[in-house]
Amino acid sequence: MRKVTETDLPGVGVRFDLETDAGRVVGVVVHQSGRRDLVVYDDWDVDRACESVELSEHEGHTLGEILGGSPVLEHLDDAVHRLEDLVISWIRIDPKSSLAGQTLAEALLRNRTGAGVVALVTESGSIPIPGGADRLEPGDTAVVVGVPSAVKAATRLLTRPG
Amino acid sequence: MHTGGDLLVLELGAVVLGLAVVARLARRVGLPALPLYLLVGLALGEGGLVELPASADFIEVGAEIGVILMLLMLGLEFSPHELVVNVRRSTLAGFTDLVLNAAPGVVAGFVLGFDPIVAVLLGGVTYISSSGIVAKLVADLDRIGNHETPVVLSVLVIEDLAMVLYLPIVSGVLFGGSVLSTTVTVAVSLVAVVAVLGIAYVLGDRLSDIALSHSSEALLLTLLGVTLVVAGLAGRLNLSTAVGAFIVGVALSGDIVSHARGLLLPLRNLFAAVFFVFFGLQVDTGLIPGVAATAVAIALVSAATKIATGWIAAGRAGIGTPGRLRAGAALVAHGEFSVVIAELGIAREGDLGALAATYVIILTFIGALLYQFSDAISAATLKKRPRRHRTRP
Repeated sequence: MRKVTETDLPGVGVRFDLETDAGRVVGVVVHQSGRRDLVVYDDWDVDRACESVELSEHEGHTLGEILGGSPVLEHLDDAVHRLEDLVISWIRIDPKSSLAGQTLAEALLRNRTGAGVVALVTESGSIPIPGGADRLEPGDTAVVVGVPSAVKAATRLLTRPG
Repeated sequence: MHTGGDLLVLELGAVVLGLAVVARLARRVGLPALPLYLLVGLALGEGGLVELPASADFIEVGAEIGVILMLLMLGLEFSPHELVVNVRRSTLAGFTDLVLNAAPGVVAGFVLGFDPIVAVLLGGVTYISSSGIVAKLVADLDRIGNHETPVVLSVLVIEDLAMVLYLPIVSGVLFGGSVLSTTVTVAVSLVAVVAVLGIAYVLGDRLSDIALSHSSEALLLTLLGVTLVVAGLAGRLNLSTAVGAFIVGVALSGDIVSHARGLLLPLRNLFAAVFFVFFGLQVDTGLIPGVAATAVAIALVSAATKIATGWIAAGRAGIGTPGRLRAGAALVAHGEFSVVIAELGIAREGDLGALAATYVIILTFIGALLYQFSDAISAATLKKRPRRHRTRP
């Protein structure tokens, strides 16, 4: 990916452009009203928006989340979001982990690491704010919150044998 | 209600219905409606098809309000900060635009033997593109995301700002007395413009927060009241009511803007249409045949100089050939400001009204068509792929 450029549109808002490594250009026009236009530039005439899709603010956010590779779907290990000093991480529970298959009460993850499990994402759906009886099933994803060192420790326990 | 009132309502209703038909027609064929409103005015005016004895006064007041609302809405589009940034960045493009496009009007004015001040007015008519029509064309054709669009918008912003200086000067010269009193008026007005913009720039959103109200009724009345008072005061100072309204619009920023736009838009649409009709009414249609050839000639020269302006400005921004052509074509349409300027001089020189009306109608249609079909023109004429460029901020 080359650089993202930002251009003022007087009286309208701002436009962001992104040129892909393959040479195509896509852009987003952020209107002052909150409306977003997703634009795709023509390959022949790269200054021309050949497609322009109007999105409401909410639709824009949703699309952004999908494109942002909602970390549950992809790149689970890299998925780390920072909130001030706190870190949220999506950790796939490895079958080799000693905690795999244990309930949260048995695993004592919070006592051991200082990081708490705020949600479990399973194949059949997600469990927000899981209780002590909920299990860390191998293959599921635990959403863990804590200071960086605590989340790191929790990641180690959930992904490695030992 | 007495009969005079009834007749006024009836006439007004007929005019508005006529405009409605024209607006629908314009929409169907994909052309801007404003010049067609002007045609309606021409048809109803002196030497036209029907006369409007009862509603003429009302239409005149409505037209005045129309100009004020158009300028207020235009001012709302910009914050003082945005204006300052734009002027810094686009001075060169703005200067090219001024020289290339005012010249044909001024030269034509002298050739036609107009007073020097009327020639300067004609220069203003040819200089300024229609931000209203251009913005609408850009949006209707889904070209807001195009790379040449910021270039076009910047040129329009500079032109609108230039009007803030131009209108008080020409009003001062037209309506002032001696050279000395005119100079004083112009100086006072310029100081007032700069002072108001400066205060708005420093105070920023605070000014708008005072005006903001949760009741849309109260907000509408506040906005209209403030704008009319400021515009009226500006008019008393020979500073031009239009400029007063524009400054109010610029001074308002922040949360109030989106509310204000929603409230004022329907009013603006109505009264702007009335303004175009009014201008048409004032034009002596008998003069049009005499100036038609000249109007066509100036229009063609203007189309060429505007295309050159956009071409140069877009080229400097690193835009490829088809985009440069689009930028040029976008600037061709003239409209509300050209008419506002011509209206100032219509009492001094009747030919100016007829000339400007014909010119604006021709150029708006040429502009709309060129902008719509510029890509087809590029595709037909460009054999090879346009020059690739790196996108620039």
